[in-house]
Amino acid sequence: MGFLVTTLIFSVVGIIASICSRICCNRGPSANLLHLTLVITATVCCWMMWAIVYIAQMKPLIVPILSEGE
Amino acid sequence: MADRGGCCPPMDLFRSEAMQLVQLIIPMESAHLTVSYLGDLGFLQFKDLNSDKSPFQRTYAAQIKRCGEMARKLRFFKEQMLKAGFSTSTKPGAETDIDLDDLEVKLGELEAELIEMNANGEKLQRGYNELLEYKLVLQKGGEFYASAQRTATAQQREMGSQQMGDESIETPLLQEQETSTDLSKQVKLGFITGLVPRGKSMAFERILFRATRGNVLLKQVPAEDPVTDPVSGEKVEKNVFVVFYSGERAKNKILKICEAFGANRYPYAEDLGKQGLMINEVSGRISELKTTIDAGLLLRDNLLQTIGEQFEQWNIKVKKEKSIYHTLNMLSLDVTKKCLVAEGWSPVFATKQIQEALQRAAFDSNSQVGAIFQVLHTRESPPTYFRTNKFTSAFQEIVDAYGVAKYQEANPGVYTIVTFPFLFAVMFGDWGHGICLFLATLFFIVREKKLSSQKLGDITEMTFGGRYVIMMMSLFSIYTGLVYNEFFSVPFELFGRSAYACRDLSCRDATTVGLIKVRETYPFGVDPAWHGSRSELPFLNSLKMKMSILLGVAQMNLGIILSYFNATFFRNSINIWFQFIPQMIFLNSLFGYLSFLIIVKWCTGSQADLYHILIYMFLSPTDELGENQLFPGQKITQIVLLLLALVSVPWMLVPKPFLLKKQHENRHQGQSYAPLESTDETLLSEANHDSHGHDHEEFEFGEVFVHQLIHTIEFVLGAVSNTASYLRLWALSLAHSELSVVFYEKVLLLAWGYNNVIILIVGIIVFIFATVGVLLVMETLSAFLHALRLHWVEFQNKFYEGDGYKFHPFAFALLEDEDD
Repeated sequence: MGFLVTTLIFSVVGIIASICSRICCNRGPSANLLHLTLVITATVCCWMMWAIVYIAQMKPLIVPILSEGE
Repeated sequence: MADRGGCCPPMDLFRSEAMQLVQLIIPMESAHLTVSYLGDLGFLQFKDLNSDKSPFQRTYAAQIKRCGEMARKLRFFKEQMLKAGFSTSTKPGAETDIDLDDLEVKLGELEAELIEMNANGEKLQRGYNELLEYKLVLQKGGEFYASAQRTATAQQREMGSQQMGDESIETPLLQEQETSTDLSKQVKLGFITGLVPRGKSMAFERILFRATRGNVLLKQVPAEDPVTDPVSGEKVEKNVFVVFYSGERAKNKILKICEAFGANRYPYAEDLGKQGLMINEVSGRISELKTTIDAGLLLRDNLLQTIGEQFEQWNIKVKKEKSIYHTLNMLSLDVTKKCLVAEGWSPVFATKQIQEALQRAAFDSNSQVGAIFQVLHTRESPPTYFRTNKFTSAFQEIVDAYGVAKYQEANPGVYTIVTFPFLFAVMFGDWGHGICLFLATLFFIVREKKLSSQKLGDITEMTFGGRYVIMMMSLFSIYTGLVYNEFFSVPFELFGRSAYACRDLSCRDATTVGLIKVRETYPFGVDPAWHGSRSELPFLNSLKMKMSILLGVAQMNLGIILSYFNATFFRNSINIWFQFIPQMIFLNSLFGYLSFLIIVKWCTGSQADLYHILIYMFLSPTDELGENQLFPGQKITQIVLLLLALVSVPWMLVPKPFLLKKQHENRHQGQSYAPLESTDETLLSEANHDSHGHDHEEFEFGEVFVHQLIHTIEFVLGAVSNTASYLRLWALSLAHSELSVVFYEKVLLLAWGYNNVIILIVGIIVFIFATVGVLLVMETLSAFLHALRLHWVEFQNKFYEGDGYKFHPFAFALLEDEDD
């Protein structure tokens, strides 16, 4: 559940960022495509990293073993 | 350009701008102006049509020499201005049109004037220094002259009286001889006064003594302040000396020795009264000379100032003219000798601007004929041109450093803008360090305008040039720092509560068996409970290694997909079917499958051993999986994937050479019956382009097959080695976090534990220096380098050829950057 919600948040942020980039710097179709590509690539990279770290912690095989004196 | 596919809409920066080879025919009278306007525009890269001529045989060699002379004069002025402490004003000043001939004459005049002023100044200065030395001699001389003379005359009287007495056996023989000669000649004592450098004074004394056999009296008195030597112009410590001698021969010897030692001699009047007069006279002359010298310097400074105001303008003008003549030298003279022919590459979008410039030049030079603009068709490969702005140019330079893109192949720079800072951040992840880096680069960006016009040192210039790259790197580092949950290695519970808690209220087992997961997974990033625990490293290592593999497989897949886009664009269907598809199948059936297994294992929490699964997939694929079963039907899937991978290797290797051979035969089937060349092209262009004309190249089957074999082996072995290479993401990230932990715990916390303010302050200072020096500088460079390597090798060798050449137009704006 948490995974899907946050994935949705990522995609919404990505869409908002693309819309913002279209509004702020609208410089012709080829430049717009470049900005869109960059925003999408950045969103996908950030989402991948978060998703990997999240999934890895969903069903852990080892747990934190505190060290002495903590 | 009809053989170009258009599968997708065009994207800025993805492929090189469309370039065309143009031919300009320019009438002679408007040539200079035309080239000048084209230089202002900066969109044409001229080809050298006179490459077989030496620089001296070219048409405009004389003009270039003139410009070289003027440049030399300007350099001379600059030296003089620097020596006098003037700086050239960087303001462009009034943009008056300067005629080159006028400028030449003016520069010549100014140079002559400046040289004359300098020579006069030097002469006056030398005289001034001599007078100063003379004054010193006069002052010092008076102090010991009197006493020295008394001693000398006393000695002489002694010798004389001794001579009157009886000759005793004790009197040395030589003394007798000398006194007898002295008596006969009745010579009076002569003296020489002057200044000798202090360093040489001992040697001076010794040699004088030896040369005159001890028959001189030398008295030296050091001058307190260093004196400017008239000959060398430097300040030297000197001694004032007076030498008393008798006889002509001694005098000559002493004079020669003085010359050898660079001791300056000055006349000295014996009479006390005369001495006073001399001192006054010399003082008067000194002050006169000083005013003259000052006036001279003032005049020269005024001249240098007037030069300085216009220096930049003249400099730019001379550079421009020189470059214009160099360019004119590259144009070839038409047979009628009435016009020049230019050939060059220019972007297609600039056609209109170039034609406008040509028309303006023809109009401004009052020529009767306009220039002719013609597009030529050629098989030569055009230069690559990307239109970058100040943000994207740094990333494009990074890509170009490895190799300039072939004309119109996919530019990895587009994705590098995001993936390069991202991979850097994966290795750097700490949001505290990211914030520091961001503030540092913000400083550069805010003062961009000011810094770009200054001249910076080498390292600062590189950092300034890459300011946007570093800014992206720091922003992504802040993100990955939040994901890794490290702020100078300290974790925070920013996004909710940690998922782990003690098994029971007494927390007895916390240090033996550990905590358990009681709540939902920590929503963003690594759970803060891990930091400092004993099992932190096994967990993080496993996480980061698997993350590196996943990111690596994703980036390599992107690379292969870009090769698909290249193949589509160049309408190369052989590459699609016999390179792209087998490559995708091979990579994904092995490492794509591994990524899938990683994700399934994480999602199901199974205890399967992935090493075991992957290795035994090859060694014994038909074995039962047992506890390594992650999903139903795994055995069959693995066998299928293995077969696919095995099939894809000969699929990559064998068909392509045969198909290329067939393609070559089809293309050149009717070659012997080629139609006559169309008469549209001019004779000139044919002569130039026949050499790079049709590809009558032979098709070496053996060579092509070996090339394909190498390519296949490279890909197959590379699939394993490149995937493993991505593990450096894990390695550097581990190093960074460990260093960070060490500096925090062993420096800052240790200093805090002593409860002493001084130790705390020292600890903080050491922590700051260590963080900045090791983590912010060294780790940044290290992660930058490794991220770069991952892009250049692992990403780009999937699709990039990079054997093009860069578009280097004739532009005045680029000139200024070049020469400095």
